[in-house]
Amino acid sequence: MKYTVEAVLASGGRLGKLSQTSTAGTIAMETPMCTLFTKGGSAPHLSAVMLQRISQVPEVACMSLGSIASHHENVREFGKGLGEFSAMKDKVIFTTLHDATAAVASGKNDKGGVAVWGKGGKMKLDPQLYMKVQEAFCPDWFQALSDGDTDKTCGKKRLLKAVDRTLDFLDDIVEMKNESEVLKTSSLIGAIEGGYSVEERRRSAKETAARPVDGFLIEGFEKGHSSVDLFADEEFMTVLTETMVHLPDDKPRMMDAVWSPLQVIRAFRLGIDVFSSAYPHTLTEKGFALTADYSLPPTSQPAKLELEGSKENSASSGFYVDLNDKRFFESFSPILPGCGCYTCANFTCSYLHHLLNTSELLAYVLLTIHNFEQYFKFFARLRETGRQDKLSELEQSLARQEGGQREDVVR
Amino acid sequence: MAGRGKHALSFKILGECSTSKARASAVTLPHATVEAPVFMPVGTQGTLKGLVPDQLRELDCKIMLGNTYHLGHRPGPDLLEKAGGLHKFMNWDRALLTDSGGFQMVSLLELAEITEEGVKFKSPHDGSMMLLTPEKSIEIQNAIGADIIMQLDDVVHSSVSGPRLEEAMHRTIRWLDRCIAAHKRPSEQCLFPIVQGGLNAELREKCAKELLKRDVGGYAIGGLSGGEEKSDFWKMVKVSTDLLPKDKPRYLMGVGFAVDLVVCVALGCDMFDCVFPTRTARFGCALVKTGQLNLKSKSFAQDFRPIDGSCLCPTCKTYTRAYLHTLANTEAAACNIITVHNVAYQVPSVGGWWPLCWALLFLSCQTSIVLILLTFYFFLPLVLNPVNEICIVYNP
Ligand SMILES: [Zn+2]
Ligand SMILES: [Zn+2]
Repeated sequence: MKYTVEAVLASGGRLGKLSQTSTAGTIAMETPMCTLFTKGGSAPHLSAVMLQRISQVPEVACMSLGSIASHHENVREFGKGLGEFSAMKDKVIFTTLHDATAAVASGKNDKGGVAVWGKGGKMKLDPQLYMKVQEAFCPDWFQALSDGDTDKTCGKKRLLKAVDRTLDFLDDIVEMKNESEVLKTSSLIGAIEGGYSVEERRRSAKETAARPVDGFLIEGFEKGHSSVDLFADEEFMTVLTETMVHLPDDKPRMMDAVWSPLQVIRAFRLGIDVFSSAYPHTLTEKGFALTADYSLPPTSQPAKLELEGSKENSASSGFYVDLNDKRFFESFSPILPGCGCYTCANFTCSYLHHLLNTSELLAYVLLTIHNFEQYFKFFARLRETGRQDKLSELEQSLARQEGGQREDVVR
Repeated sequence: MAGRGKHALSFKILGECSTSKARASAVTLPHATVEAPVFMPVGTQGTLKGLVPDQLRELDCKIMLGNTYHLGHRPGPDLLEKAGGLHKFMNWDRALLTDSGGFQMVSLLELAEITEEGVKFKSPHDGSMMLLTPEKSIEIQNAIGADIIMQLDDVVHSSVSGPRLEEAMHRTIRWLDRCIAAHKRPSEQCLFPIVQGGLNAELREKCAKELLKRDVGGYAIGGLSGGEEKSDFWKMVKVSTDLLPKDKPRYLMGVGFAVDLVVCVALGCDMFDCVFPTRTARFGCALVKTGQLNLKSKSFAQDFRPIDGSCLCPTCKTYTRAYLHTLANTEAAACNIITVHNVAYQVPSVGGWWPLCWALLFLSCQTSIVLILLTFYFFLPLVLNPVNEICIVYNP
């Protein structure tokens, strides 16, 4: 993995280039970007063939260990790594500890290791087992073992322990990685911990940056996925900003959180480069479809009305629509006219409403396609807006659209 | 031997077996020309287990089923009419067939009561008493707009005999006349009557002869596949096909196990349907010539072969059994992926076992087609490859 900053924006955030070289060639990516969220090594609800129907699919597939770690011996026997095993061999494979959409059952980590959760239950990973799993999976990037089981309620002692443990794990992993033939060329992503303590964050950032890591994954603000809007808290932004100061510029910074486009812009402006695409998946699971308008000024009717301060029709404005809603029963138009996705090109809201109403699998297939396409499109738009230095305008427009939808999406 | 033009169906025999009654044919319907023998996958509520219509097209599927009982409830005939029919609603431009809704009522609902008027049942939604008459069934099917629609029949379990069975057969004929009278779109939708009569050959003959007096585009054989003895089942199919005219398609309802398909093709049936291939996929089971693979089973954890090495479907080209084992134990995506293979397995030219069936048909083999097919495709593989994990999931 190679990262270079192309431009630092006056409004905050940076545009960069990320490249990944393997025997198959070099993949060049631009940041800000998101990874492809997966479940069990596949895009949720989609076969490999259906995934191809989405445009601008990220080059990096993020695979959390919870549901797949227990199969590591089978993947080792297979002998060609997790990417080829899960029919994703063209992707850059990034293994992380936890599923971004799942809450972590707290209190299961200790000095000896970290617990991950899958359908089969808990699996405790100590550094040795962790590296054995990674050697079988042979990822392009992998997150170092970490204790991110902290949030705002954690006291100083707990945070100190989280940072110490994570650094100890990192030292073990660096040592084992140096001796591993298989993982020699893989990039190691160090985890930054410290909860809401500026002091611990600083220590974690400095110490991790001093070790041979290729990027940083910032976690420990919530215990897994908590549904709390971190940006509603001034302190979160202060602590995150302070953390960034101590991270070197030439390595990418990642956060694996469930974030709406608005939250992504805010985190990007604080210096995050790589994001998850778990957010559209959480919408899909509820039967919601992304409808945010990323153009400047917004061109869609509801967003325009919102911009003009009209209260009329505000029920249909906002980031997303709930297709379970009865008002879609007879709506024979696509979710988002002009969207261009496979779902919008072929199916109506009425049909999607029917599929949700009858709990048919196809509802989730079609919503995944639309929501992913819209979210990936947002990242392209974010890079473009960044180059035009119009981030504040986009943030304001999205904030206004979200205003029409006060209810928290991810609860 | 094209059918007369007044039905929304024309039938052309392309080739016949010289010893059995098997035939290859083309069934031309308003939305597609379907080559038979054909297996029709079941898309109960206007969708087939997470597959989009494009995937079915790629699998060379020309016709699929919808269930009138389910569609009549949700989204309901009014909405389907407004949407321009089920074809438009679900974006499927090839042929569709709907059942009458009667079978679901009798099998799904405990409180169903059958009178001369129709099937009386308690609404599963609000508990009120409702009545499905032949007229109502056709009205809903007219709104759905499938290429082939079915008469409402008086369905009894195949173990029933005596006066109740005889009553059901006669009532089925009376209801057929009511259905024909109620059918408003005969030039766009072809109505099939149903041969009933349980396991009683005499009743089946009587029923078939009555149906022959009516002018219809094709025939269905119903009331079988309910777990009866194979010998009884085959005999009843034979009795029915012996009487039905050669120049109309014959649809054997609810039959879809591979071995039954081969035998009943030889007995002269052209169209088949069964929920089994799609339903079993939900439990992680993939169909192969030797039976089924229960991919959830540990024995596949390190099996890096495709489900079927000779299958040309996207699933077999993309995934190993070992990965599907991982996925089937955790994620919903496994169901779509396995369904693709299971549908491919049943559809000619993709799944691997129909091509020989066709070849034999056109060679007009001198020995019994049934025996040859059974030997090559079922008994031989079972002997040669008996180690496959057979999945035992019974889905009534
Ligand atoms: Zn769309
Ligand atoms: Zn296959």
